[in-house]
Parts: sequence; structure tokens; C-alpha cells
Amino acid sequence: MLAYTLTRLVYLALVLAVMSVLVFLVTQAMPGDVASMIAGQFASKEVVDAIAVKLGLDQPLIVQYGHWAAGILRGDLGRSLVLEQPIAPILLEALGRSLVLAVVALAVVAVVGIGLGVLAAVRRGKLTDQLVSGVSYLGIAVPDFFWAIVLVLVFGSYLKLLPTGGYAPITDGFLPWASHLVLPVVTLVLMLLARIARLTRSSMIDVLQTNYVKFARAKGMPESVVILRHALKNALLPTITVLAIDFGLILGGVVVIETIFSYPGMGRLLLFAIQRHDLPLIQATILIVSAAYCLANLTADLLYAFVNPKIRHGMRAS
Amino acid sequence: MMTAPQARPAVSPVVASASAPKPAPLLDVRGLTISYGNARGTLRAASDVGFAIRPGEVMGLVGESGSGKSTIAMAILDLLGGGGRVDSGEILFDGTDLRKLPASERRALRGDRIAAVFQDPFTSLNPALTVGRQIAEPLIQHKGLSPRQAAVRVEDLLAEVGIRDPRRVAAAYPHELSGGMQQRALIATALGCEPKLLILDEPTTALDVTVEARIIELLAKLCDSHKLSALFVSHNLGIVNRICQTVTVLYGGVVVETGATGRVLSRPAHPYAKGLVAALPRITADRRHRLPSIPGTVAKLSGSPAACVFAPRCPFAEETCRSRPQAMLTDGDGDGVRCWKADALAGTPWPDEEATGLRRPRTGETAETRSAPLVEVDHLRKIYGASRSILPWLRRAGTVAVEDVSFTIGRGEVVGVVGESGSGKSTIGRALLALTEPSAGTVLFDGADLTQQVKRGDQTLRRRAQLVFQNSAASLNPRKTVGAAMDRPLVLAGRADAEERRKTIAGLLTRVGLPAAYADRFPHELSGGERQRVNIARALATDPDFVVCDEAVSALDVSVQANILNLLAELRDEMGLSYLFITHDIAVVSHIADRVLVVYGGTICEEGPIGRVLRPPYHPYTEALLSAVPRLAGDGPEAPRILLEDAATAPGGRGCAFAARCPRKLGAVCDEQAPPVHETADGHRIACHIPLATLAERAAVFPELADADALPR
Repeated sequence: MLAYTLTRLVYLALVLAVMSVLVFLVTQAMPGDVASMIAGQFASKEVVDAIAVKLGLDQPLIVQYGHWAAGILRGDLGRSLVLEQPIAPILLEALGRSLVLAVVALAVVAVVGIGLGVLAAVRRGKLTDQLVSGVSYLGIAVPDFFWAIVLVLVFGSYLKLLPTGGYAPITDGFLPWASHLVLPVVTLVLMLLARIARLTRSSMIDVLQTNYVKFARAKGMPESVVILRHALKNALLPTITVLAIDFGLILGGVVVIETIFSYPGMGRLLLFAIQRHDLPLIQATILIVSAAYCLANLTADLLYAFVNPKIRHGMRAS
Repeated sequence: MMTAPQARPAVSPVVASASAPKPAPLLDVRGLTISYGNARGTLRAASDVGFAIRPGEVMGLVGESGSGKSTIAMAILDLLGGGGRVDSGEILFDGTDLRKLPASERRALRGDRIAAVFQDPFTSLNPALTVGRQIAEPLIQHKGLSPRQAAVRVEDLLAEVGIRDPRRVAAAYPHELSGGMQQRALIATALGCEPKLLILDEPTTALDVTVEARIIELLAKLCDSHKLSALFVSHNLGIVNRICQTVTVLYGGVVVETGATGRVLSRPAHPYAKGLVAALPRITADRRHRLPSIPGTVAKLSGSPAACVFAPRCPFAEETCRSRPQAMLTDGDGDGVRCWKADALAGTPWPDEEATGLRRPRTGETAETRSAPLVEVDHLRKIYGASRSILPWLRRAGTVAVEDVSFTIGRGEVVGVVGESGSGKSTIGRALLALTEPSAGTVLFDGADLTQQVKRGDQTLRRRAQLVFQNSAASLNPRKTVGAAMDRPLVLAGRADAEERRKTIAGLLTRVGLPAAYADRFPHELSGGERQRVNIARALATDPDFVVCDEAVSALDVSVQANILNLLAELRDEMGLSYLFITHDIAVVSHIADRVLVVYGGTICEEGPIGRVLRPPYHPYTEALLSAVPRLAGDGPEAPRILLEDAATAPGGRGCAFAARCPRKLGAVCDEQAPPVHETADGHRIACHIPLATLAERAAVFPELADADALPR
């Protein structure tokens, strides 16, 4: 297990190194010149050049990358050009908010999705199964922004039960914090639920047909034990992977949903950075998003091993 | 309709008590009719099935695939599932009709009074739970034991089924155990609550022959010591002969014969039973004969049979057989047969279509064989999973699949490779076809290095070497017609004319005994035997010299297997093909091979003409393998069985691969030094530390083998 984790961490570092080069190059290739943007529309060439020299933009790309990468390794993500502040605290704040959104949404999706999937598999072909399939299809087929708008209209504008946007830190009290989360979470759940429910259903159906489930029944185990102890643990493997990818997705920012609900997470931060051509902020944000994604996947693989003793032992052997 | 009172087998208590004071049956199945329904219609899986098992009795339920034997076992357990439904009948267990009990009470009986062991131990244990926990489950559920009490009992149970290290095994996950150990664990689970009846559904079919022999021994011992009754579902007549007192033969969901095992297998009364017994490949049979086979395939029923179910394939069938269903004819001793001609046919054996027709004498090949072998394998070695990596903890030495194997195959020669799973036999076959690259050593095909040629992109030699797999269904693309599947190799071989290709395909299909019109059919429309014929026809499409048959008949029913073996033998005789015939079944290989390689742990432990390998001197592994071959009553005396220990570790290291399981191990020398090869003049080679003279002192496993047969053909 340790060797496996070590290997994965080495790969993770490699992926991030490659990612950092790509991010750096792509942002350099973006239209517009940072120095002239900062200097403003009417600045003279001398002023623009002075800014470029100050930012080190006159140096070769490889040197610029070296400076940037070395800074990141020291934990210095640079300064935002537009906000004129160090990037790290801004990013951390946004990441924290995205984390809250991801954890709450994923917890709901996991519990409800796996539950519905198991229910549909056990009642395969019956009304419950068709209902679950139908409803989850509706969730997946209609775009997320539609649900977002519907929710805003119903709960915010007509019923006036919930705030339609924004964010309240938990220091303001639990209720304001939670009430701001409800609508984005529900939208995310609608978006992600179908896939989890359907995936769980199909792998559960496969597992229910295995010999060990048949043997558990032949031992006279009650159906609840057969389903929960014997089948579910094995059926969850693919679901875990997808949940982890979804986690990385939300953590990396869900631009549309964050925009509609004015939720100040990673998605909105990235959008802001791109619109304002804030190069250091774009670079740092994308890098952190990639890292979050990779870590989520690593967590999934480790969880996978935890659930599946065969993999766990294979790792020990390696 | 079969409503006649005698439609019930004679073993029903009424008849039985009339003849002898036998105890009341523990399990009495009466008139059981089961069907599977789906949108396309219903399929009758069992029609009016009846049999009885008395306390302490083991009854074999035999039949081929589709005979309904497993369905009946599942119906007794109330685990039919998948649209299966019991239409009528009674399942009396200890006098109670199980069908009248609510589902919850039937569940309470399962695993407690009626326990089961299924076919595949590798998939019957839950991979995510420890073995001990799975054995403890029924104890906790049915006997109300605490987990702690159950754990103590689990270790006792594991010890009872012959596991030497119960504590370690109880804590292990299933994948850490060998197949034999897993099956022992399943048997321990079944025994836990001291059931009265065991349902054994092909409990040894997935196991290696030597492991199977040990599990059967264990089951027989346990049934005896625990006074257990058992329903033993199997397709393997030899195994049934070993463990069952009575046997019930199923065909197409109908009981065709029932009676004492010795009588049914030595003097079968029903034509189907006669055919089944005749079609079984026997080591002791004269190999120059074709195997008797049963023509045709099992018909699927949608309702009650309107005629004798076996009539379409029966060589003795008359008009009467085809116009009305057969009633069960019973005598007072518990024997029953569902054939009105049974008495008239009493002395008639299953007809051998070519009883007089010996295989064509094979001429002129011997000299050629000696001069230039078709395939030469020299010091072949294959390692899987070796990896080099910059990360030190990822470097791996790999697993040795084949270790220093050398042999030749002559033109027109059939070389059998016998070994158990993991012996490297399939890897040898793949290396010969350049489907896997040897880690060391060379494979010469007709004097050229096939692997190097294929690497250079030259496919000409590969066309001359083809492959037939075990799984007939999986080796055909389900979306391609038979004709399209066979067309592909022809196109690749550069045959441009479509019309000419079509004719070739028709010719090939006819050659393997299928109608040419089958070219337009899809694989799912064919039976298993027909699909395997298509696979053979496809292999022949490029006019090869050499075919590797990798367990090509292993998945087929006995009657179909005989058909395919005959076909392969014919093709060899007529087209001068060479085969590498890979199998785990030494009886099958003895029927077709000229020479045999016995492989264990990636090494050849014995090699020689088939007649020599079947007689002493034996390699200790060959001897165990031969003694594990199940025999039918009437085939001669059973040899004393040599039971091997379960493999504790994978073979490997410097010594003899078989050392860890060898019953005749000499000592440290076997572990430390590679065994020397003893070779005799007629090409018989044995790799063993035991001197040849000592090996030759052992009694023959098959003393009745004719001397003439022992000579190399």
C-alpha cells in the first residue's frame, strides 16, 4: 500500500510539472499584452516597457518560467496584477468555498444516488426501477443552468424562502451559511445524481448475479444482509471512481452554477482572472485546480484499494 | 400427457416399501415441472421430474448442458431466479412439501437443514470478506452463535475439511487461497449447521484433476461420517461412479433412467444412457477406433413432451417413439427407465457407426517425421509480468510460465500437452503460433523462426499455423455470420475472387460436417458443437499444416466432444495436419495424440509416445494424474488413488517444479537440483531424481492396457 501510494505521488508530481509548463505556455499565448493592459490604453511605449521590465516580461520565456515555478515551490503563488494582492490567500479562500460546496453536494449525491441505485437494482424492471431511471434521466438530460434558473425563480423569487445567490461565511451563523448553500447544492445534485444512481444500479445488478451472492442466499442469509453486506461493498467500486472525479470537478469550479448563484468559488475566480487578463492569477488558479483534480483521483484509487482487498494485497506484494 | 401412475420413478416410497423395508426418503421430488418464461415464450426446463434420496444416500443427477439438472437443484433451494418458475409438483423434505412453505421458512432451512456447494469455488466466495467471516455467517444466522463462538467453530470446521492452518485461512481473503482450498472452505460453510441434505452442484468441475480427486475423497468421507444425504449434480459419469449410490439420468428436462449407480453405468437401459456411457473417452479403449458419438443436439421444449424426448437422436427409435410420450417403466428394486423398448434392447450396445472401420493406416509419415520436424521448440522460456522501472519498488522479476521447454512436432503428428491450470500449457501453444514472444529460446516452424518472421510483418508462415480455442462462442464475433467470419482469413490470404471464396467456405463447412447453408447463420443460432465445427472450419480456411487446439473440446458435452474428437482425427488422417493438442484431460489426449508431453509448473516432466506414457515407468506426477482419472463401473478395477497435497506455493526455484506436491519426494535434492532426464530408446523421457529402474517398479495404473497398444504407432 505504501509503495503504491509513493508511486502514485511520484506520478502526481510529474503530472503537475507537465501541467505547470502547459499552463505557463498557454497563458503566454493568450491575446493581449499584460504590460500594456496594466499601463492602460493611453500609456506611452516607454511606460509599457518599464512595466514589462519590472514584471520581468522582457526576459526569455524559460527564465520567466523558472522564476514562476521556483516561486510556487516556495509556496509563493505570486501577486495578482488586477487585485494587487498576493494570490495565495485569495485562492485559498475561493478553494475553501468550493470545498464546502463539493463536500456537501457529494455527500448528498452519494447517499441519495447510491440508495436509489440499489433500490432500482433490487426492484429491477419494476415500477420503482422505472421511476428512478426516468427521474434521473430528467436530471441528466436538462442542462444544469435550467434547473438553476427554475430553482432561483421558485424558491427565491416566488416563495422567497431562500437567498438566490451569494455566500455567507459560517461565522455569520449556521442558518445564513446553510441557506446560501441550498440552491447551488440542489442544482449540483440534480446534475450529478443520475450518473451515480445509474452506475450503482448497473454494477449492483451485475454483482447480484454473481456466484457469491447466490451462495450467500444458499446459506440462508436474509435478503438485507445479502444486499448490504455481500453485494453493495463490491458494487461500489465504479461508483467511488466517478464520485471522486465529480469531487475534483466541483472543487475545480463549476463556472455556470457559481455564476448564476453568485457563489464566490474557484469557478468565479478563474472567470474573473481570465476576463481581466490577470496572468499570474490565471496560472495559479489553473494549477491549483489541476492539483485538486489529481488528488481527488488519488483518493479514489486509495479508497478503491480499501474496499477491494485483492487490490490492497496486490499493492503490498509490489 | 404423462399422467400414468407409473410415470413416477420406482423409488417413490409406495413402490419401495412393497419390495424391501427401506427408510422413508429424506428428499422426495414428485412431478416437478419447471419453466423459464421471457417475452419470447416459455422454455420447459424440467418436465414431471421425480426422484428420491434416502437418509445417508448420495444420488447423482447427471445430464448434459440443457438437461435441467442445475435448475432442479436450484428449485429445491428456492433460488431459481431469472424468470424460472415451478409450475407443479412436490418437493418433500423430511415429509414436508417445501413448495407449501412461505419464502421466509424456506430461507431458514437453507444453509441450516439443506446446505449447498456450487460449481465454481473461485467466484462463490465474496472477494471483499474474509473466509472465516463467510463460514461463520450461517452459524450466527441459524444457530444464534456469537461471532466469538462462531470463530472457534469455524476453525474446527476448517480443520475437519482438511485445512492444516485453519486460523490463517479463516483470516485470509478468498484470493489468497488456491481453488482447492476455496472449495474446502465452501464445504466447511455447508457443513457448519450440520445439515441433513447437501446440494452439490458440479462441485469439482472447475478444479484441476488432482485437486478434484481430493475433494471427491473428502466429500465421500464427510457424507459417510456425518450420515449426510446429498444430491450430486454432475455431467461427469466417472465422478458420479465414485461417490453416488444411486443415479438419475436427465435428458431434455425429463428423467430417462434411474437406479443403482453400478447397474446404470455398467448396464444402462435407456438408449441415451447407453450413448452417454459409450461416448466417454477411456484411456483403456482401443485408440484406433473412432469414439462412439450421439448425433444431433438437445431439442428445446416449450411444453409437455408429445413424444419421447430422445427420439430425434435415438438410433433405435421407431414410429411409436415419435408419436407419444414415454412412461417410466419401473421394477421393484428402485430402477426405472423411460423407454418402452428397454427390455428388448437390454443386450444391445450403442451402435458404433464405424465399429469395423479402423482409422486409416498412416503410411510414410514416420520416416518423414524423423527427418524434418514441422515444429522445433528449443529451450523455450517465457516470463510474464517482468518490469523494469526507474522507481526501485516497481521493478519485478516476473512469473515464470514456461521454463526451458524443448520438443518437436513431426509432420502429421499429434502432440498432446497435458497439465493443470498454471502449468504453462497454453503459453507453449501461444508461443508456437508467435502470439506471444518467448523470453528466451527459439520456435522453428518448418525450419524458419516464426517469431522473427511475424515481427518483420511476414504473415506467410502464420497462415500455415492456426488455432482453435476452448470457448466456441467467444471465439466467434456475434455480429458476423459464419460465412463472414470464415471469409476474413481467405481475404487476408489474398484470395480476391468473391465467388471462389464462397465456394471454398461452402466446401470447408461440408468438410467439418455442417450444411453449406450455415454460412448465412449467426453464431448464436448454432449449438456449442456446431460452433466448434465452425471454428475448426475457419482454422482450416488458410490450408494450414499445423493447428493448435487449446482445450478445444473441454467445454463440450461428452456426446458432442466425441463428435469433435472424431472430426479432428479424420482431418488429421485426410489432410496430414499436425496438432498441438492442449488439454487437462489425459483421457481425451490419449484418444487423439501420438505423443504426449506432461507439463507441470512450466516444465516437461514426462514425454513420450502415448502408449509409453500410459504405462510404467511413470513420472510421479503422471502417475497421480492417471490414478485420478475417474472410471466407470465395468471398466475394470479402480487403481489405488494417489492423492496429492494441495499446492501450498507456486512452483518455481531451482529444483523440480513438482517437488512441493510430490508423494515420492526423495529429499532436499528434489528442492535444490533440477531433475535429470532419463531417456529410453523409444523416445520416452522422464525428468526425475528417482532412478528409472525404481520408477519402473510401480504397478500399472491401467493394467488392462493391451500390450500391442503400448507400442508407438
